[in-house]
Amino acid sequence: MAREEPRTLSLEINHRKVSFPEGVTVLRAAELNDVYIPSLCSHKDLSPFGGCRLCMVEIEGMRGYPLSCNTIAQEGMKVLTDTAMLRELRAEILKLILSEHPSSCLVCGEKDECRDYQGTIRKAGVTTGCRFCPNDGQCELQDVVEKVGLTEIDFPIYYHGYEPEHDDPFYDRDYNICILCGRCVRMCQEVRGTGVLAFTYRGPRAKIGPAFGRSHVEAGCEFCGACVDVCPTGALADKASKWDGKPDGSLVSTCPFCAVGCQVELDHKDGRFSKATANMDPEVNDGQLCVKGRFCMPEVTHHFERAKKPMLRKGEYFREVSWAEALEKVAVELKNVRPDEFLTLVSPDLTNESLFAAQKFVRECVGSNGIDSTARMELAGGLGLWSKLLSLPISIKDVSRADVILAVGLDSRFNFSVVGTKVRKALDRGARLVAIDSREGNLARYTDDWLRPTPGKEGRLLTFLADALGGHAADSSSAAADASVESESLDRALKILSAAKDLTVIVGPQVFHYRDVEDLVAGLLALADRKDTNFIPLYFGANARGALEMGVFPEIGPGGSPRKDEGLSLADITSGSKRPKVIYLVGDIPFLERPDCDFLIVQDIYLPSFKVDAFLPAATFAESGGTLVNMEGRVQEILQVEHPPEGAVTGFMRPDWRTFSELAQAMGSPGMNYRTYEDVDAEIHAAVADFPARPDRMPRRMRPLDLASVPKPQESRRGKKGKAGFLLVAEPAGYRHRGIDISSKVGGLGELALEEGFRMNPEDLVSCGLKHDDTITLSFDGGKVSVSGPARSDSECPRGVIYYTRPVVFGGLGHRRGLWPLYRLEENPTWVSLSVTTAGKT
Amino acid sequence: MNDERVIDERRQRAKAQWEALGRSPVPFIYIGAASCGLAAGAADTQKAVEEYLAQNKIDARIIPVGCIGPCYLEPLMDVQMPGRSRISYSNVAVKDVVPILAGFFEEGVIPKSHLAGHFGKGELDGIPRFFDLPMLKPQVRIVLRNCGLIDPDDLDHYLASGGYEGFEKCLSMTWKEVLDTVKQSGIRGRGGAGFPTWRKWTICRETEGKERNLICNADEGDPGAFMNRSLIEGDPHAVLEGMLIAAYTIGASHGYVYIRAEYPLAIKRLRKAMAQMREVGLLGQNILGSDFHFDIKIKEGAGAFVCGEETALIASIEGKRGMPRTRPPFPAVSGLRGEPTIINNVETLGTLPNILRNGAQWYASYGTETSKGTKTFSLVGKVRRTGLIEVPLGITLRKVIYDIGGGTQKPFKAVQSGGPSGGCLSEEFLDLPIDYEHLAEAGAIMGSGGLIVVDSDTCIVDMAKYFMTFTQRESCGKCVPCRVGTRHMVEILERVCDGKAELADLDKLEKLGRTVKNGSLCQLGATAPNPALSTLKYFRPEFIAHVKDRRCPAVSCKNLVIYRVVASKCTGCQRCVKVCPTGAITGPRSEPHNLDQSKCIKCRSCYEVCRFDAIAGDAIIIES
Repeated sequence: MAREEPRTLSLEINHRKVSFPEGVTVLRAAELNDVYIPSLCSHKDLSPFGGCRLCMVEIEGMRGYPLSCNTIAQEGMKVLTDTAMLRELRAEILKLILSEHPSSCLVCGEKDECRDYQGTIRKAGVTTGCRFCPNDGQCELQDVVEKVGLTEIDFPIYYHGYEPEHDDPFYDRDYNICILCGRCVRMCQEVRGTGVLAFTYRGPRAKIGPAFGRSHVEAGCEFCGACVDVCPTGALADKASKWDGKPDGSLVSTCPFCAVGCQVELDHKDGRFSKATANMDPEVNDGQLCVKGRFCMPEVTHHFERAKKPMLRKGEYFREVSWAEALEKVAVELKNVRPDEFLTLVSPDLTNESLFAAQKFVRECVGSNGIDSTARMELAGGLGLWSKLLSLPISIKDVSRADVILAVGLDSRFNFSVVGTKVRKALDRGARLVAIDSREGNLARYTDDWLRPTPGKEGRLLTFLADALGGHAADSSSAAADASVESESLDRALKILSAAKDLTVIVGPQVFHYRDVEDLVAGLLALADRKDTNFIPLYFGANARGALEMGVFPEIGPGGSPRKDEGLSLADITSGSKRPKVIYLVGDIPFLERPDCDFLIVQDIYLPSFKVDAFLPAATFAESGGTLVNMEGRVQEILQVEHPPEGAVTGFMRPDWRTFSELAQAMGSPGMNYRTYEDVDAEIHAAVADFPARPDRMPRRMRPLDLASVPKPQESRRGKKGKAGFLLVAEPAGYRHRGIDISSKVGGLGELALEEGFRMNPEDLVSCGLKHDDTITLSFDGGKVSVSGPARSDSECPRGVIYYTRPVVFGGLGHRRGLWPLYRLEENPTWVSLSVTTAGKT
Repeated sequence: MNDERVIDERRQRAKAQWEALGRSPVPFIYIGAASCGLAAGAADTQKAVEEYLAQNKIDARIIPVGCIGPCYLEPLMDVQMPGRSRISYSNVAVKDVVPILAGFFEEGVIPKSHLAGHFGKGELDGIPRFFDLPMLKPQVRIVLRNCGLIDPDDLDHYLASGGYEGFEKCLSMTWKEVLDTVKQSGIRGRGGAGFPTWRKWTICRETEGKERNLICNADEGDPGAFMNRSLIEGDPHAVLEGMLIAAYTIGASHGYVYIRAEYPLAIKRLRKAMAQMREVGLLGQNILGSDFHFDIKIKEGAGAFVCGEETALIASIEGKRGMPRTRPPFPAVSGLRGEPTIINNVETLGTLPNILRNGAQWYASYGTETSKGTKTFSLVGKVRRTGLIEVPLGITLRKVIYDIGGGTQKPFKAVQSGGPSGGCLSEEFLDLPIDYEHLAEAGAIMGSGGLIVVDSDTCIVDMAKYFMTFTQRESCGKCVPCRVGTRHMVEILERVCDGKAELADLDKLEKLGRTVKNGSLCQLGATAPNPALSTLKYFRPEFIAHVKDRRCPAVSCKNLVIYRVVASKCTGCQRCVKVCPTGAITGPRSEPHNLDQSKCIKCRSCYEVCRFDAIAGDAIIIES
C-alpha cells in the first residue's frame, strides 16, 4: 500500500507563521521549526503521557494551558509558548521536580567554573548533584534546567532515600534520581510488550519497579536495555559504561552476535568502544536489541583474558613472538603438510571477507580442500536443507504485520528477543498466535492455541497442519495422539491457520537439533508452498549464511559451486576416523581437549584452554570492519570503531583476512594481497553470483544448493524408557561468538547462568526428592555411559523431560568437561535414567 | 415473558398492596437501617424490638428502611398501628424501645417521649408532621423521595411509588425525545463538574461505534460525603432505573457500577436490586419486550480516591492502574476499551426517573435559571441538625445552615463546600445562592454536595491542612504539580500550624496553589489547592495570627496553645487529675490544682471534664 505523503499545513507560533506536516503534535511542529518547548516525559516513540507538564502552551480558543505533546497541531492554530504565565509555571514545575531530585550542582552559581577548572570540588557522593552523577553532560534534565534558565530552588529538598538497586545484572537503578516521567514504563509496556516495569504505590511514595517488589530477573525482564535508553536522567544506567561520561562519538554498525543482524550504534570514548545502543533501523530491528547486542559487546572485546599477541610453542614454553616470526613458522608448516592431512575450521561468526579469504587461502595457497565449519552443526539438518529454507521469503520486519503467527519452539526471552518483540507487536494489532512448543516459552501466555507435544514430535504436528492447509484430508486425532496433544487443540490450531491472510512461521533453533527432522522439514517446505507466508528459520552462528555463500565446506565453494575433490572434514576428526597432521582453527574451536594432531594453529580472540602450537591474535568486530549476511540475506556492514596502534600494550590483533593474506605472501603464494576488506569484497562480488559490490542491506533469497539435505532416517536407537526414565533433550547453545561462549566473558550473562545444569520441572524434582542445584547422574546407552551435573528447577519444562544445553564451541566452558559424553551423543531426544548423586549443594 | 404487561400488572398489584398497608391489620415498625442508623445503634434497637415482639407474642412486621435525612435523630423508629398514621420516634436507644412499644401495644396511647413527627396528611393530636419539621420543611425531596419510607430490598415498594414508570415512558419515546426531555429539564452532572448531562450524552451518541458503555460513578470519595451511599442504600432501584434511561438514550448495552469497596451495605442492596430486575425482565436481552439490551456489572473500588476521576475509573475497570490520562480524547468519545462511554454520578442517574415520570418542565420549575432542579447535600459539622438534605438550587447558604440546620451553637465561622476540592466560605457569603455559578465565583465548588459547617472552635488553617493532607495522600503520583506541589503546600501549612512559618511562606503558598491549579493533569490536582487558597483569601487574619503572632485564634493548634488552671476558680475536685493521661495535673483535694506544661499533651480531657462534669465548670482554660 503506497504511503501517502502528509499534507503540509501552517499555524502561528509566537506570532510567526510556520508550516508542519499534518498529524503531528504541537510540540513536534514547534521542534521542526526550531521553537524550543521543554519537555521531559514525552518521547517520539512513545504515547503522550502528560506527567511532567513542562510542555504547556497557550492556544487561542482553548482554555487553560493545554499540553503541546498531546495536542494535534491544526491548521490556523495560534500558539504562544513564552508568555509570562507560562514562564512562571515552567519555572515552578521545574523547581518542584528538582526539589525531589538531587540538584545542588544544577543550580549552583559556580557550576561552569567547577566543570572547567574544578575549583570547588567537594568530597560528596552522588546525592549532591550532577558533578558526581553518571549522566553528567548527557542528562535531559540538565538540558532543560539550562534552557529554562533556573538559578535557584526555593523549596525544601526532599531526598527519597531509596537504596540504589545493584542486584540485577547489566544495569543499575537509582530511583533517587528518577523523576517519574514514565518513559521506561511505556517503553516496556507499549513497545517491548513485556510489561516488567510499572508505577507502584502512589502519591509521594510512587516508585517505578516490577510488581510486588520482585527482582527484574524474576519479573521476566529480557534485559534489552530499551528502558535505559529512554531514561532522561541517570536513574537507569549501564553498569559497564556508567562512569565513562559523554561519549566522543558514535557509529552505526551491525551486531555480530546472531543472524538477525540488528543495527547498533557504537559509542566510543578516548578511542575505546564504550557502549552499544540500538539504532532506529526500520528494516531490521526498529530501535530494539537483545541482551547480547545491547550489553555484551564491550566486555567480549575488552575482557582481560583477551589474547592480543602472536605466540609460538618453543619446547615447553609458549612465548610471545613477533608477527614475522609467527607467520614464518606457520608458513613453513603449511608448506610442508600434505593437502589431505590438513584441516581448517572457520567460525560462522567470521565476516564474509575472512571466510572468503580463508577458503581461498586453503584451496589456492595450501592446495587443500580441508576446510569446514561448525556452521554445519548450527545449520542442523544439512546444508542442502538450509539453502532451501533460506531461499524462502524471510522478512523480519514483516513479522509485526502478520495476522497469524505460527511459532515452533520459539523462546525469545534472551535469544532472538527482537523477533519476540515483533511478535508481540503483531499481537497488539490483533494477530493470533499458535505455538507448538513442549516448553512454556515466554510467549506461551499470549497464545490463542498452544500445542504442547512430546519433545521431538513437533514435526509430526507440522506435517499434519501443512497437509491439512494444503487441502489434503488429514485425520487430526491420529496426529494428535502421536504427539500427545488434544485433538480439539489441533483442530483449533488448524482453524486459526486456515483463516490467515498474512501467515508468519517462526521456527526456533531447538527443533532443528533433533536427530529426526524429516517430519519437520517436510512440514516446513509444504507450508512454504502457501502463498504469502513469511518464514523465519532461526539458527545460531551470526554469519552462517555467509559461510554457505562463501563456500567454506568441503562440498561447496564460493557461490555454492559444488566441489568433488577430497578433503578432511569436521566429521572426520569428531568421529576420530582420521588424524590430520596440521589443524588450523580460525575462531572455530569445537573441542574441550586439544584435538589430536602434530601442529595446532589457533587464530582467535581468546586462547583456548588446551595447548596450542601457534596462536595468531585476531581482531574483533570492534577492531576491524567487514560484512555479515543476516538470515534475510542482507549484506550488512560492521564498522571498525577502535583503531589501536600495534604495540606492546594495545596488542597486535589483525583481521583474519589480513592474516591469510600475509600468510600467503610468507608462503610465496601470489594472488592474496588484501590491504582493506573492500579488496576482498571486490573478489567476492565477482565469485558469488548475487553478492552486491557494496553492503547494500537489500534482502536476498538464496539459491537452493543441490545437496543431499535430510540425513537418511536410521533405526531409532531411542531405546526403552526404563524405570527412572526421563526424556533428555539437547538444546543448542545460544551464546557463542567465535571460539568462546560469551557468558564466560560477560559478568551479567554469567550471573544469569542461563545454560547451566539439567533443567527439570519443579514437580519432577520434588517427586525425585531433589532440590534445585542437587547433583544428579544421568546414564544412557544401556547404562554404559553416565554424566553428572546440577539439577535446575525450571517451571517451563514439561514433566518427565530434562533439558540441557549442548554447545558447539567450548571456550570458557571448561567446567562442563564432565558432560563431554553427552555432547558427543547423536540421539536427540534420548531416554536416560536418573539417579541422585548428592543431596545438597556441592 | 418479559413483557410490559408483566411489569404493569405487578405495579398495579404493588400499588394496591401499598394502599392496603394503611388498612393492614398487622402493625408495622420501621427502623432506619442505613449505614448512618446502624452506626448510631439501629441494629441493637432492632434486636430489642424483635425481643419485645417475641416476648409479648405480638404479630407485627419490622421493615428496615434507608436514611430519611436527619441523621442526628438516628436511630429512628417508626410505629404504624393498624389504621393509624405512621409515627416517628428519634434517638431510640435500646433502653427506649420497651417504653415506646409498651405505650402502643399495651396502653394503646401514642407515647410522647422521643416523639419526632407523623407521616399522615392532616393534623394529629398536636403532633407535628414529620415533613413539617424545621429541618425538613424547606427541603424538596425528589431524588430522596423514597429514602426512609420504603424497604429498599422490596421491589414492590418501589413499584408502588411509581417505580419504572419513567423508564417505561422512555421506551415509548425515541432516544432523541428522551434526550430532549433531559435537555429541557436542565439537569447538570451532580458529581461535581456540573456539566449539562444532555450535552455529554449527545457527544457520546454522535461518536461512531458499535458498542457503548454507561458507567455509574459510585466511588464517592470526598470525606464527609454520603449522599450517594444513602441513595443506594435507601432506594437502589432509583439509580438503576436511571441507568436504564441513560443507557437507552446513549445506546449503551454494557453498564457498570463502579462503587467503592468501603460501602458493603450499598453493594449488597445493589446486587439484590439487580437480581430483582433480572427476574422481571428489566435487565438483559430484550428488556420489557423491546429491542433494548442492557446489563450491568458491579466493579468494586480498591481504596483510591483518584479512581473517582473519569479516566482513572475507566483504567481501574480495565484492570490497569487507576491513573488518569490526558484528554483529549474524552471518555464520551473514547473511554472504556476505547469505546464511547458515559460516566454519570449516582445522583444524576437517580434523578432521571423523576424527570421522565413527571416531565422536564416540572423539574425545571425548581432551581435557578442556570442551575435547575434540586441537589442533595450532606450537612455536617457544627450545626445543630446534621444529616442528608435535598434542596432546590438557588437556596441561600443562610437558609440551609440556619433554617434547615438550626444554626451553630458557637459563633459561625465558615462553611466548606465541595469537600477536599472545594472552598471555605466566610460569614459574608451566607446570603450566597447555592448554585454552580455563584459558588465558583466565590472560589468554592458545589462538588458532590458536602457542606461542612465550622464554628469559632475550629482552626481554619488546620482545616485547610486536613484537606490538603488528604489530597496529597490520594494523589496518584503521575504529574509533577500534584505529586510534589501539594506536598510542599502541606509542608507550609504544617509549619503555619506549628508556628514555624514566615509571612513569605504565605506568598509561596499562593504561588504554589496557582502552579498546582494550572499545571495538574486531572481535577484532583487542579482543585486540591482550593481549600488552602480560599481560606487564605477569606481568613487571612487567622493565617497572619499563626505566622506573625504565633497564635491560634481558635485555640486549637496544639503547638500554639497552652492549658492553664485558673486557680481562683478551681475547687480542687480532682476530676481532671483522674482523667489526665500523663499526670500533668496534680494537686490535693480542695486546693487549686497545678498543671505541668512539660507533661501536657493537649488532649483536652481535663478541659472537657471540667466543663461538663466538674463543680467549677470553667477552671481550666486553653489560650493561645
